[in-house]
Amino acid sequence: MATIELEKLVKRYGKVEVVKGIDLSIADGEFVVFVGPSGCGKSTTLRMIAGLEEISDGTLKIGSEVVNEREPKQRNIAMVFQNYAIYPHMTVRQNIGFGLYTSKLDKAEKDKRIEEAGKILGLEALLDRRPAALSGGQRQRVAIGRAMVRDPSAFLFDEPLSNLDAQLRAQMRIEIKRLHQKLKTTTVYVTHDQIEAMTMADRIVVMKDGVILQVGTPSELYDAPVDVFTARFIGSPSMNLVRGRRTASGAVMAPVGDILIGVRPHDLIAHATVTGSNGFTVTGTVSAVEPLGPETLVHLDVADTSIIATVREKFVPTVGSTLTCEAAPGDLYLFDASTERFLGRS
Amino acid sequence: MAAIEQQGAASGRPGGSPGTSFGDRFSMRTRRLVWVWSFLALPILFYAIIRFYPTFQAFYLSFTNWDLLRPAKFIGFANYIKLFKDPQFWKVFKNTFTYLIVGTPISLVVAFTIAFFLDRVRFMHSFIRALYFLPFLTTAAAMAWVWRWFYQPPPIGIINDVFGMLGIPQQPFIRSTDQALFSIMVTAIWAGLGFQIIIFMAGLRAIPGTFYEAARIDGLGEWAILRKITLPLLKPTTVFLVVFSSIGFLRIFDQVYNMTTNDPGGPLGSTKPLVLMIYQTAFNSYAMGYAAAQTVVLFTILLIVSLLQLWILREKK
Repeated sequence: MATIELEKLVKRYGKVEVVKGIDLSIADGEFVVFVGPSGCGKSTTLRMIAGLEEISDGTLKIGSEVVNEREPKQRNIAMVFQNYAIYPHMTVRQNIGFGLYTSKLDKAEKDKRIEEAGKILGLEALLDRRPAALSGGQRQRVAIGRAMVRDPSAFLFDEPLSNLDAQLRAQMRIEIKRLHQKLKTTTVYVTHDQIEAMTMADRIVVMKDGVILQVGTPSELYDAPVDVFTARFIGSPSMNLVRGRRTASGAVMAPVGDILIGVRPHDLIAHATVTGSNGFTVTGTVSAVEPLGPETLVHLDVADTSIIATVREKFVPTVGSTLTCEAAPGDLYLFDASTERFLGRS
Repeated sequence: MAAIEQQGAASGRPGGSPGTSFGDRFSMRTRRLVWVWSFLALPILFYAIIRFYPTFQAFYLSFTNWDLLRPAKFIGFANYIKLFKDPQFWKVFKNTFTYLIVGTPISLVVAFTIAFFLDRVRFMHSFIRALYFLPFLTTAAAMAWVWRWFYQPPPIGIINDVFGMLGIPQQPFIRSTDQALFSIMVTAIWAGLGFQIIIFMAGLRAIPGTFYEAARIDGLGEWAILRKITLPLLKPTTVFLVVFSSIGFLRIFDQVYNMTTNDPGGPLGSTKPLVLMIYQTAFNSYAMGYAAAQTVVLFTILLIVSLLQLWILREKK
């Protein structure tokens, strides 16, 4: 196990800088998730940590040693790929054992480790099968098994669940998290799915255009995003944004205001009967409804934007009707309209 | 499956009322069958008349003494008995298998090596690939004549010129009973190289890059990656090329014929393959029955060799 330190890490392809000098220190045993849209440099950063991409500038330390010039194998890390990268011509046992190819352990010890990994991942019955006879989730478990047997100082995951269907993804999320709790190995996990980031991470790193926007625990990011991008990226459905201005008690919508008011759909509640409100209220025309069971999401056309509100009661508004919804004081996120930086809650 | 289809077709039929057009009169299944068979008819006719009929005719002829002039007379296994007693046949048999056994592995190893390294070359990649492919597009006759010229004694033959400059003794190449076969084999390998390189490169490209990255992270060196990952994953490509190239060498004819036109088959028949013997038997000696028997033997050899290779290189479950 080890710490990982990124100091002014830069990756250039020709003249294009895709990672622009990022700093981050990952504690021993921590589960860090890099999240961001496609092309934000998160995978490149991971590949630099793995040693698959050369580092253009800056320093990378694993366990307080500078490893910039070390081959991947000398870094003692293990990586799980999006397409699993398990070999179709080998059985599950051989695939898992492949992680120990260069290890100097004797045969019995290797077998023991393979069996052990198989047991932890629930692959005991499948050890002699070939990958073609496995489901997507099982294949990904084999890839994790191959990473595990090495007993590496860090696990790197590169969008490992993207090829799985939604149900399996939810299940594997929990499995990877459990595995981390059991093994307590430093883990760096890259995803573009904010739900994966929120549910699995000790700390989330939000990246955009090659820079880190924010680093923090899931609740820190949810409660105090640094800017509009992070605020809209974290949380599903995305935060509503409307132009407004500050008032003595909070903020109100205003077409030419100097701030952006953010309110999460889950905080913006519509009631069947309008009550006297003391918070932020919005009135608009219902353009679509999405019943989810316990609650219903309502899309409202307000002025020239569309916002999403929640109905918790057992009523489904009709499309075309007018609906007023409100957010309690303290549930608003205020941003500067020009810089889009976070100003505080209201 | 068929039952389900039939059921579906039946229920899809409009209430049994007789329609007037083609589409209404027949069930969906019948219409599909007519459609399918009308497409299949042409290739079936083609194969039956152009391919299968002459093939079976050859089998029949091999049991006759047909010589183009007199009507064919059935003579049983006489042609085959004559063939197996013919020392010329065994010489040719040996030559053919020398082409196969030496030529196939060498051409595959050379093609793989070039493909493996060319795959990593970025500089003028397409141009270099095109250069390698060029001989494959050239007619065998032209190539053979150029190589024939290469192999001439100095000062005409370029290879002997180079040897002279390097102080290596002059070689007779296609004029020698020992070297002629291998000289022709080099030409044949060179001619087929472009095709094999393209196929190998396609196979290499099909292996996902993450397989190599995962192996690098697991600490494998270049050699181990080649042995444990690249070659096993390239097996379907290799099987195809082994079979394809073997058939090519077993049927080798144009290179041999064009490089030794004065005396087809080289000095003392040292380069003569089976196909050339068949050609000479048929069109120099006009012994059609005997040539047909040789053809049947070649066919059998091709069949056995191909099946054997597919069996040896089969996917083990």
